[in-house]
Amino acid sequence: MIKQPNVILGNDELLVTMGRKGDILGLFYPRRDHAQHVEESLACIHTGEKLLWTNDNDWHSIQNYIEDTNIVSTKLYHDSGIRISILDLVHPEVPVLIRRFKVQSQQKMSGKFFYYSNLNVGETPKKNSGFCDTEARLLAQYWQNYYIGIYALPEFTEWQIGKAMDTIWWTNSKYDMEDGKLQRNKEDIGNINNAVGWDLELEADGANEFVIFIGAASSRSLLYKRMHELSKLPLEHIFEKTREHWVMWLAKKHVLKMPGLEGHNNLRQELFNAYNRALLMLYLLNDREHGSFVAAPEFDSHFEKCGGYGFCWNRDTSEVVLALKHSGYPEYCDRFFKWCIRTQLPNGSWFQRYWLNGDIAPSWGNFDYSTQIDETGSTLHAMDIYYRILEGLKKVEFLEEVWVTVLRAAEYLMKRTKSGLHESCMDLWETYYGVFTYTNASIYAGLMGASHLAEENGESGMARRWKKRAEFIKQATIDRFWLQEGYFAKGILNEKLDKTIDASILGAYMPFGMLSPKDPVERDMILFLIENIQKKLSIPINAGNGIKRYENDSYIDGNPWIITTLWLSEAMFAFVLDLPKGQEGQYAEEVKKLTSEGIKYLRWALAGATSTGLLPEQVDKSTGKPAWAIPLGWSGSLMLDNILLLDKICRRNAGNQE
Amino acid sequence: MVRDLCMFAGLNENSKIVWFKITYSKDPGSLSPIIDFLEKQSVLIRIGHFDNMNMETGEYSVFTEIGNEVDLEELSRKIEELEAVLKVEYGISENRMIHGVDFPLNVIGVRAIIARAPTLVDIIRTLNENAPHAEGLLTLSGLKGGIHAAKYFKSIMPLDDNNFTSPLVELYKAVGWGILEIECDPVTFEGKIIVRDSFIADVYGESEQPVCAYMSGYFAGYLTEYSGKAIKVREISCKATGKNVCEHIISLASPSISPEHQPRGDTR
Repeated sequence: MIKQPNVILGNDELLVTMGRKGDILGLFYPRRDHAQHVEESLACIHTGEKLLWTNDNDWHSIQNYIEDTNIVSTKLYHDSGIRISILDLVHPEVPVLIRRFKVQSQQKMSGKFFYYSNLNVGETPKKNSGFCDTEARLLAQYWQNYYIGIYALPEFTEWQIGKAMDTIWWTNSKYDMEDGKLQRNKEDIGNINNAVGWDLELEADGANEFVIFIGAASSRSLLYKRMHELSKLPLEHIFEKTREHWVMWLAKKHVLKMPGLEGHNNLRQELFNAYNRALLMLYLLNDREHGSFVAAPEFDSHFEKCGGYGFCWNRDTSEVVLALKHSGYPEYCDRFFKWCIRTQLPNGSWFQRYWLNGDIAPSWGNFDYSTQIDETGSTLHAMDIYYRILEGLKKVEFLEEVWVTVLRAAEYLMKRTKSGLHESCMDLWETYYGVFTYTNASIYAGLMGASHLAEENGESGMARRWKKRAEFIKQATIDRFWLQEGYFAKGILNEKLDKTIDASILGAYMPFGMLSPKDPVERDMILFLIENIQKKLSIPINAGNGIKRYENDSYIDGNPWIITTLWLSEAMFAFVLDLPKGQEGQYAEEVKKLTSEGIKYLRWALAGATSTGLLPEQVDKSTGKPAWAIPLGWSGSLMLDNILLLDKICRRNAGNQE
Repeated sequence: MVRDLCMFAGLNENSKIVWFKITYSKDPGSLSPIIDFLEKQSVLIRIGHFDNMNMETGEYSVFTEIGNEVDLEELSRKIEELEAVLKVEYGISENRMIHGVDFPLNVIGVRAIIARAPTLVDIIRTLNENAPHAEGLLTLSGLKGGIHAAKYFKSIMPLDDNNFTSPLVELYKAVGWGILEIECDPVTFEGKIIVRDSFIADVYGESEQPVCAYMSGYFAGYLTEYSGKAIKVREISCKATGKNVCEHIISLASPSISPEHQPRGDTR
């Protein structure tokens, strides 16, 4: 069953997703995309009469991050007066999740504290093997070279390893817990589950504490050593080390000032928090070894209701690494472009999506007509932007490193745009086949970027050729797709012009810069785009308006999306900043209006986040709650871009432009 | 228990199928005047049932066939005027095929539905054909149902070693799941359950393996909840495999047993 997380945490090797009540939904090791080892893992209390599963409806929860860290606090309150405080953190250096449970009760109680797990080690319920080493008090489950272990302080006093789904139901750990006593079976194979338990003796208002270590390793001996070493360290020491790790990493960020926002109902602080949270979230979606990012932690691995999100798309990641670069973390660009060099297809394009190690992922874009050409355009565009901020030797080396990749990608784009518009392919939403405004704009930006890189590399002939084609694409897109109503058509579908308004047409301005506010005609075109998208795609919810993808969108109920809404606010902020110098006064009213409306959209996006501040892909149009993929890296990157632009506006307004 | 009726009636253009739900006070002899009155009004009673709502009042639900010329409003009012009658509700089955009085249905304390046996068997078959561990999954699903049934029976009547199997037999028959013969030693919990006309085996069609794992799980859940001990129930013979009846063996669960050490195939 599909369950979306409310919070994520991890380190370079481990990514953990959790529900709002501290139930583990996913445990990815050693990569963010593979393997996901957990089906279910959570605490449970036996009151002496019955089991209270901590993810039951009877518990109320408050969950948040410890400020500026990926350490999670979850507080659970049960109607019966039992309260559990959970502190979750992943050690910064080893793939071990540490869970401290503090159980309190208003009334005296005598029962059990259980920790139950249904692990699918190696992302499979098949051929697993589990054992409980009662001397080492380590419970482990393994498949091939994946080992997941559970250790605890104080040591657990009872345990069970049983069949998760078999006719011998009484060995099933879940049922075994019912009578408040575990059978202590020490090993089993197949589709298995496990539980460990402790006596829970509480005086009225008394408390018991249990610390559970859930570790991963590539061998049995490494698992033992890790757990043993870690268990010797005081929890306070691990907590401090973990906190310091995150705070130090955040210290590298570009510092925000946001002067002039002090009076906006705590907005300044909210934006500071959102900025930090987006950065910390993106850290967790990145594969440090390969440089790639998952779009979101996978939550639909069976592709039951969508095509899955636990893969790397060039389109999303190009925006993510640029946002990180703008935020003070250029190294993500460097690693990602190395990954791009490795993953480019022989024809010069990039595939729909990849596993993080660069293998091509499950796809419905295997042919020329079903590929997404915008991903190649986006990648080239991002490479050029990165190149422009480099200096000295680094600049030279980067160009040398990517040149052949750029050449092949640009020639691929040339091959597929001979008529001025791109050949038929799939759109960025991965739904329609045809010719699209967004895709043409991305190709324009890709070829312009490639042209600049060629110029820098002394290849002026190529530079001219690619630039000429880019300008041809721009003209053809405007000629064919710009409508009298004041916006671009979505594109050509089934050989007919589709006038549906689609928020992605904003791509013609942001991020691809095909239109520029410096040109008076294009300036008006951008303002018309903004106005029409607001008019036709707004959905009122959460005391504001979110922007849906396009008219008649039916994917997951046609909700408003964070990225489409933040595209709009980004376009507003960028427009304000892009106005020709000296002409801002002429547009004073427009500037004021766009800034103020942009802030409203930004606030709307913040209101759609989880209680922990993670930005989803969508916001439920009926409930206003975060919907579908959580967290979505692309949403986070747009939040960063928006905040940085607003920071610039604030500084400029304050006469303190840096 | 079952507080609803359904019926099938042939086509008769001159009459209609009408249900009445009559709430009455349960004084001695209070029901007879109601039935007499209906008969005198030329109301053809097709089917009816009584429900003792509590010590003071009861409910008489009746399906009738009544001539088109009868004014139902008038008839209803006359019934309501009878001395013991507290309230009358009525409705017409427009299509003369199937109709219910109460909604929603309720069986052993929870919402119930009437489903065609193939509806459930299609689910079971789909699981068997597609889901890994289908037999285990069905056992666990049945287990929950059996545990609920035993809990419910314990809550409404005293269950003891002499009668603990009889509500289960009644329930299976009442809901159309099968006819049970249960032999179970209340001390050792050794025994067997014969299921005649199991709805699963009847509808499933031919199979090389027993197909009533859901029922095995149900029996295990029921007996486990009653006894407080883990009870194992295994179907060793199934009508779907060509036998006359289905047979489930009862025994105390042994923690040491592992399916890896259990013979698979013919007897499973």
